[in-house]
Amino acid sequence: MGGYLDYIAGESILHRLNPLTKLCLSFVLCVCCFVSDSHWVVAGVMALNVLLAAVAGRQVLRRSCHMLRALVKFSLFLFVLQVLFVRDGAVLLRLPFGLLVTDLGVSFSLLFVMRLMGATMPLALVLSVTPMNDIAAVLVEKLHVPYKYSFTLMTAVRFIPIFAHEMAEIMEAQTARGVEFDTRNFFRKIRLILPLCVPLLISSVRKIESGAIAVELRGFNCRKRGCAYKRYDILPRDLLAMASGIALLAAIAAL
Amino acid sequence: MISIRGLRFQYKGAKRAALDNINLDIADGDFVGIIGTSGAGKSTLTYALNGIVPHHFTGDFYGQVLVDGMDTVDSSPEQLSAKIGSVFQDIDAQMVASLVEDEMAFGLENFGVPRAEIGGRIDEALAMVGIGPLRYRMIRSLSGGEKQKVAIAAIVALRPSIVLLDEPTGELDPQSSRHIFSMLRELNERFGLTIVVVEQKIMLLCEFVRKLVVMEQGRIAHAGAVREVLAHSDEMEAIGVNVPRVVTLANRLRAAGLYDGPLPLNIDEAEVMLKTILSTDYAD
Repeated sequence: MGGYLDYIAGESILHRLNPLTKLCLSFVLCVCCFVSDSHWVVAGVMALNVLLAAVAGRQVLRRSCHMLRALVKFSLFLFVLQVLFVRDGAVLLRLPFGLLVTDLGVSFSLLFVMRLMGATMPLALVLSVTPMNDIAAVLVEKLHVPYKYSFTLMTAVRFIPIFAHEMAEIMEAQTARGVEFDTRNFFRKIRLILPLCVPLLISSVRKIESGAIAVELRGFNCRKRGCAYKRYDILPRDLLAMASGIALLAAIAAL
Repeated sequence: MISIRGLRFQYKGAKRAALDNINLDIADGDFVGIIGTSGAGKSTLTYALNGIVPHHFTGDFYGQVLVDGMDTVDSSPEQLSAKIGSVFQDIDAQMVASLVEDEMAFGLENFGVPRAEIGGRIDEALAMVGIGPLRYRMIRSLSGGEKQKVAIAAIVALRPSIVLLDEPTGELDPQSSRHIFSMLRELNERFGLTIVVVEQKIMLLCEFVRKLVVMEQGRIAHAGAVREVLAHSDEMEAIGVNVPRVVTLANRLRAAGLYDGPLPLNIDEAEVMLKTILSTDYAD
């Protein structure tokens, strides 16, 4: 998961936009998925996400496609679960134990998972084209979020790949001792992984503690508002991008 | 200057003291190495210097630690960090940013350095550590050695008079470890920074530091100039601290009355020693 949240350096227009603009645009795209009940509109928003990723560069596009594939796999599970719980509409299929598949159920479940995918992708795209520090700094500078909260957010995202790496190391060590993590049995795999949460938790707490000491010694508690090195001015291109986003939202709402 | 007098510290809930009867002076401009086995109290000693003990890790604290005249009990870790900068072994945990420039700016921003000055301070610190071209690089694209240099530069940018490092080469290969120590020597000799480094690699300490402190079970077993301390190689090995083989050899030759010259610290010096002994034997 950490691989989907890292910043990918670049010089595209998306990289150069103000982080606040990017956050607003991603929020607008998320909202777009929910204001319309049309599958086509949500599919259009998803396509727009992929198009924006292409504008940001080949690496960002590749990551977006990988992410879309992972989301589709996850959504399949949710779709099946959801479709069995909607009982309104014309019955398409009768299953054992009184379970039904209806046309409304299929339509609603499809819209549900498409919205999930459409709303997840913009935020991942923002994180791909914006250093986390810039997001944290702009939240403090423009939205007046207390630095402690924005630093917490930044650190939480930064630690995801670190913990993923730790987990991979623990699993490697266990594999060397004969634990079969490559088993095809999903439940057996989960049973093998669960006990590893304890060493992961211990090493994570240790890492977080040494990180906390390190930032404390670099004056974290002395920080005041307005001391940031970088400034994030809103430029005409940012206004244009925000206006386009709002226009898109208004158009979708009017449909 | 650092002055430690009668320091005893026992972590809350611990059965024995992590530090016991520590007395140590470190002069301005010194390059001091601290060595000892696991649990000897090396890291706790660094925590006592930068104020993490007793402010972050609490417990029974007796004695006095003065850093440039500031008492570590009366001063907060933040106040102390203006005098003493700390670098830790876990490289990833101490990084806060994804870009080198942001990582460098973090401490400067926290301490309220004016914006107009920050850019210059970043360039200055990166140049001091010899990694100027890395300023706009992504941290994850750097090697372990480069990351550790960035961590050190981020501390140097705060302009402390003392830099304290806890096993800075713990995650590095031998070549990168030597680069780190060469750079520390440069900071010490060229820029006059006092360097205090906890390290397990005795060969690096022998080659680069001027003073050595050997710790054993919370106490200082030996402290002094490197050659003075290494004269006690048998006692150091008895407490589990390895010494270079050339030192062991030289001490045995001394004990046998065959050599009374300076203690060799590396292969080249050992070669000179052996040639001297052999030529003396032939002359006899």
